[in-house]
Amino acid sequence: MSHHHESIIREPLMTGKDITYAQITNDILLPVENKPNKAWWIGFTVSSLGALLWVVSISYTFWFGLGAWGLNKTVGWAWDITGFVWWVGIGHAGTLISAVLLIFRQNWRNSINRSAEAMTIFAVICAATYIVAHMGRPWLAYFTLPLPNQYGSLWVNWNSALMMDVFAISTYFSVSLLFWYTGLLPDIASIRDRATGLRRRIYSILSFGWTGSLKTWQRFETVSLILAGISTPLVLSVHTIVSFDFATSLEPGWHTTIFPPYFVAGAIFSGFAMVQTLLLVTRKVLGLENYITMFHIESMNKIIMLTGSIVGVAYITEFFIAWYSQVEYEQYAFINRATGPYWWAYWSMMSCNVISPQLFWSKKLRTSIKFSWFLSIIVNIGMWFERFVIIVTSLHRDYIPSSWAMFYPTWVDVSVFIGSIGLFFTMFLLFIRVLPSVAIAEVKLLLKTSSEQSKKKLIEEGHLDPVEVQYYKESLTKYDSIDMADYEKV
Amino acid sequence: MDSNKKYWKGLEELNRTPEFVEKNKHEFAEPIPIEEVLSGGGLMGKTPRRDFLKALGFGVGAVTLAACQKVPVHKSIPYLIKPEEVTPGVANYYSSTYDGSAILVKTREGRPIKVEGNPNDLLSKGGLSAQAQASVLDLYDNSRVQDPQQNGSPTGWAQVDAFVKNQLAAIAASGKTISIVTSTIHSPSTQAVINDFIAKYPTAKHVSYDAVSYTGIIKANQNSFGKAVLPHYNFDKADVIVSFAADFLGTWISGEEFTRQYVSNRNNKSLEAKKMSRHIQFESGMSLTGTNADVRIAIKPSEEGVALVNLYNALSGTTLPGSRKLTTANADKAILLVAAELKAAKGKALVVCGSNDVATQVLVNAINSLLGSYGTTIDLDNPSRQYAGNDAEIVDFITQAKNGTVGAALFLDANPAYDYHSADAVKDALKKVSLKISFSDHADETAALCNIIAPNHHYLESWGDDSSVTGYYTVMQPTINPVYNTRQAEQSLLVWSDNPVKDYYTYVRNNWNNNLLAKGGLSGQAGWETLLQTGFVLAAPVAAGSYTFNYDLNAVAQTILNQSAKLAEAKVELQVYQNTAMRDGKRANNPWLQELPDPVSKVTWDNFAAMSPSDIIKLGLDEFEVIKIEANGYTVTLPVLSQPGQAPGTISVAVGYGRTAAGLVGNNVGKNAYPFLSFLNGTFQTNASATITATGDIFPLSQTQTHHSFEGRNVIREASFTEYKKNPAAGSGAEGEHEKYDLWEATNEDHIHARPVYDWVMAIDLNACTGCGACVVACSAENNIPVVGKDEVGRRREMHWIRIDRYYSFNNDSNGHAVTKEKEIAKLDNFNNVTVVHQPMLCQHCDHAPCETVCPVLATVHSSEGLNQMAYNRCVGTRYCANNCPYKVRRFNWFNYWNDSRFDNYLNNEHTQLVLNPDVTTRFRGVMEKCSMCVQRIQAGKLQAKMEKRPLRDGEVKVACQQTCSANAIVFGNRNDPNSEVSKALKSERTYYVLEELNVKPGIGYQVKVRNTGTESLA
Repeated sequence: MSHHHESIIREPLMTGKDITYAQITNDILLPVENKPNKAWWIGFTVSSLGALLWVVSISYTFWFGLGAWGLNKTVGWAWDITGFVWWVGIGHAGTLISAVLLIFRQNWRNSINRSAEAMTIFAVICAATYIVAHMGRPWLAYFTLPLPNQYGSLWVNWNSALMMDVFAISTYFSVSLLFWYTGLLPDIASIRDRATGLRRRIYSILSFGWTGSLKTWQRFETVSLILAGISTPLVLSVHTIVSFDFATSLEPGWHTTIFPPYFVAGAIFSGFAMVQTLLLVTRKVLGLENYITMFHIESMNKIIMLTGSIVGVAYITEFFIAWYSQVEYEQYAFINRATGPYWWAYWSMMSCNVISPQLFWSKKLRTSIKFSWFLSIIVNIGMWFERFVIIVTSLHRDYIPSSWAMFYPTWVDVSVFIGSIGLFFTMFLLFIRVLPSVAIAEVKLLLKTSSEQSKKKLIEEGHLDPVEVQYYKESLTKYDSIDMADYEKV
Repeated sequence: MDSNKKYWKGLEELNRTPEFVEKNKHEFAEPIPIEEVLSGGGLMGKTPRRDFLKALGFGVGAVTLAACQKVPVHKSIPYLIKPEEVTPGVANYYSSTYDGSAILVKTREGRPIKVEGNPNDLLSKGGLSAQAQASVLDLYDNSRVQDPQQNGSPTGWAQVDAFVKNQLAAIAASGKTISIVTSTIHSPSTQAVINDFIAKYPTAKHVSYDAVSYTGIIKANQNSFGKAVLPHYNFDKADVIVSFAADFLGTWISGEEFTRQYVSNRNNKSLEAKKMSRHIQFESGMSLTGTNADVRIAIKPSEEGVALVNLYNALSGTTLPGSRKLTTANADKAILLVAAELKAAKGKALVVCGSNDVATQVLVNAINSLLGSYGTTIDLDNPSRQYAGNDAEIVDFITQAKNGTVGAALFLDANPAYDYHSADAVKDALKKVSLKISFSDHADETAALCNIIAPNHHYLESWGDDSSVTGYYTVMQPTINPVYNTRQAEQSLLVWSDNPVKDYYTYVRNNWNNNLLAKGGLSGQAGWETLLQTGFVLAAPVAAGSYTFNYDLNAVAQTILNQSAKLAEAKVELQVYQNTAMRDGKRANNPWLQELPDPVSKVTWDNFAAMSPSDIIKLGLDEFEVIKIEANGYTVTLPVLSQPGQAPGTISVAVGYGRTAAGLVGNNVGKNAYPFLSFLNGTFQTNASATITATGDIFPLSQTQTHHSFEGRNVIREASFTEYKKNPAAGSGAEGEHEKYDLWEATNEDHIHARPVYDWVMAIDLNACTGCGACVVACSAENNIPVVGKDEVGRRREMHWIRIDRYYSFNNDSNGHAVTKEKEIAKLDNFNNVTVVHQPMLCQHCDHAPCETVCPVLATVHSSEGLNQMAYNRCVGTRYCANNCPYKVRRFNWFNYWNDSRFDNYLNNEHTQLVLNPDVTTRFRGVMEKCSMCVQRIQAGKLQAKMEKRPLRDGEVKVACQQTCSANAIVFGNRNDPNSEVSKALKSERTYYVLEELNVKPGIGYQVKVRNTGTESLA
């Protein structure tokens, strides 16, 4: 895509020596074309056990009723909607990376968009299971669709944010799936071309007859851009609508106009954290260090730091507005969050989401792989607590003190949540086994322009300003996939 | 020059194979091979089209058939001969009587499904207690004894009769006593049957005792005025009421009647006439009555007598020997102020005392005599007949049985093996009795010790009568054929005593014809039929005479003070009381009552040790920590409950729990507190000195409310009577008008909901509501509300559509402000200056209902009559509505309560479900429900009016909660009618709407709680 020359030499988006197009294909398809290694099997076993737990706990809930969960007359939503919002939020990074960064021509997205989009899809699936599972009568879930019926004016309620949710989530899922699959087509065709027998037939069907002609590529580019155009508003709209579930209610602590931007920022925050969690492991296990480089890790950490700060400002604004509004119920809701019986949840949220991302101001920390992974987990935990705090601590003490109650999760609540993580990872691990986890075609675009070897060549050609080169070389020190010895003689 | 170059696309073209040539002809058009298919070749193909269609047709058909479940055919036969007066779908009402109150029994298709008060009832004018409301469920209790039993195995009535008569004859011949042990019999006909029985068996003796006894009052009246009666109190005639631990609005003698009387001096009507009675309560444990008092002083049981002596001194101006000051200065001061107030209200004052001690009650008589209460607020000439038991009789019976002089013991509505203070003594004594017969309809604790269980009918299956107050006679008529093979106890007694009257119905008729009908000016068959319709006769009351007490009180005071001094030595003073839901424990197997929250503690399904918060802090106990209580040689372990207002140094424990043979519901719920009673000076004493030890265990109690203060929120609005007199709108928030904005009305006309005919609303007077909870049970009965059990209540999942919120607030001595916030309350060191407010809370049927806008499937919508409706069939159960309800009145069916084996013990069995109201559907799991304002009643009322071609009259439709309320705290009606009761009530200056600032436009107006706290602070 970008064949322009950089005015100042920038950090490479891809590392490694003597990389060819063929090698890129070989590297990336390594897990797809070979038997899985031990690490994959361990991961898959654990994840499928988790998924099994999900099946058991969801079946238990469906069989006995929602009473299996810890909900009560006062707290009508707890781990269910917490889980739902958490998963939807996680999905957002994928869309942001694939759509928004595409439109802004951020080429560093090329190596991470595939996994991030896959993550989006699996996260939205997990979220959608919660929508159905949290219903008292899930077998009537189709009531939420505006289906024609014999009852005349019996229709769905477009005023209800839950109704909007149904559409937001289903649109989001279908667009994401379409975008993801479109991006996959050339890569599936690559697999097809290299495969034999049954595999070839399967990938052949999946590739929709991709020929690789110029016209195909041109259409591919166009479709990608159109889909990116459609997806971009979704990055903002989906979580805005999810936030409407709360913002359009009367509940103190929910009824807040700040929710849409705050939720979107939080979603991107948690999404990038989840991308980090996944990719830092994937890159190691699948040996993709040259494609997912320190540049990517650091960039994502910067986004985490930025969105974490936005979220932090939102938390503080909520408090300010509660005081400024002089609404006693609102004020109590916030004082109760910080000092009430769920203070530990609030302070977990504050320390995980507001304080910990600030550590990324330190370059040393944001370029440390171990720390980045650790912090991504912390952010995931923090964002779960954020939703828990918003939902449970608002509901458990609202207007009428006689109804104030505590929420205690049951084993089923916990199992459904842990199980949904198992389900997510099962899907993700199957994905990296059967489909390329890095967009081969798009990464190949970087080889000639943004790769370390092409830049090294430029340097060796000696046309560059030595100051810039020196600066460039310094920037390479953070890369764990670059041997600085190579640059001693350059 | 022609080029020889030849371009070809493939080898086929180069070689021009025949296939290629053929195909090339049709390069761009391939006609559909219709001809080929139709001309045989196609049909012969591997899957010809027709076969495919056949297979498809068969497949779809087969799958459709397989998917169809055969519709179960329930054969039913319509009435070939329609029973007279039974029209399916139309309820019949029969007048009857419950515990001396005239009632109406609603039956549907032959099943009694609800008990409602008779609006003309002398006692409560249509109000009914929770117990009465719940009594219909006992009819369908499947743990009732279903056949007569001999030695624990079912037998026939003929065998029982033969055996019993034989035995009775032998016992009579041997000269041994035949004891008929009963609780108070206030039915004239039952009493006559017993008298006849005694006439037949001269050694027979009637032993009458009550588990919760009023012997103390009866004996005191005997001593003071020569009349061994329980007086009829007139709380409506009292301007100043001082109660010493008498829970007269709840469990004391005649709670519903007293509630009606009491509230008549405190409700809106009375307030508008600038009149409000003043009520001061001295007590140890917080009773329902104490929560309603204007001033409540916490005193230990040992100080009750001392306080009464001091009150007497202050009123009479003398000093009884041995008088001493109370230990708390404010109580001492209070007594003097109370004395002054009582004096000022002479002739309109009433002092009552809950003690069962004769000496104490004699002193109370003396006080009332000084106040001129006799003939005004106390009526000795038309006495109450509700309790006439004599404690000494049961004690004597047990002594005699132990001595072997009792040959037979018959237990009618008596269960001494449970409620006598020494169950072991009863067991030992009964071992010596050869013939033991229980008439209990359950194999209860005493029945288990008997040779014969001759199960009695439920009262809804019985003929009979009752007389709760002298001159007031109510009739009991059956509303259903006996469900089980039971026989009315009176009938058994008639048979066993070879009475010339062979059946009890005739006996009752005779009794009425000969004695009772005439009292109401009735006679003959016509009179009887009138009686069956009206339900009662009322003889003109005797003019209440005034009585003067003139005996020497020195000895009485000495007894009281000695007893008090002895009790005061205790480490902890134990008070045994009845709570409003369970009372004496006879209905412990009733799940509606078990799940009814105690009005004060909000605890369900358990009793507990109520302790003062300061004591709990002092002893370092945790909430619900189990303590071991030892008193009168009996030890029991109970969880502690922190009870504001509980006198420090005291514990209160409710009786009625700890049944071991009540049935599946009531067994082992709580612990038995009867053994804490003791027999002293001829009566059972309810106070004891106790010691307690902490066990460290925690036993969580299931409360329906766990936050007890209203956090200063204007959900509760209060005013003092002084403020009210200055400004009737005091405290209502209606003083300052402010501009109101409405998002909807300003922008969109469609959003103004049209209410063309009816606009159903409610007014609830917080000053009338005593918090008793009868409405909760009435609502459960009317609306088929499931019982969910202790565990589910503990998870905060009770299903009640109406609840009574109870809030405590505290008076801070230092600045005089009410302390209502939890954090400030925690800093208090004195939890005794507590005031309580009860607030019935139910769906407010908001005009801008927040629940309606958030439901994704429009399962909850507004009606054109102002009702917020639930379409259960449409509900998918997202619970968004409940989350968005600011009043938290929506209830979710977490489980399939009506068909889930874990709830079998409650209402979930075929038999018990016969009590269900067929006009109201039961709700499936996953569905939200809430108060419908008894929409089925509204519809029925509208239909009736339509059929009679007239408008619906105000008051014609009464909702269940309103109907049972003796205090008339709930008014329901049409707001469109400016003359309706509810419109008038809502016009009161005291009216406010809870959370009105949210602009949800609730349809229920509350009226400010007014307290007659007077000018001088007592507390």
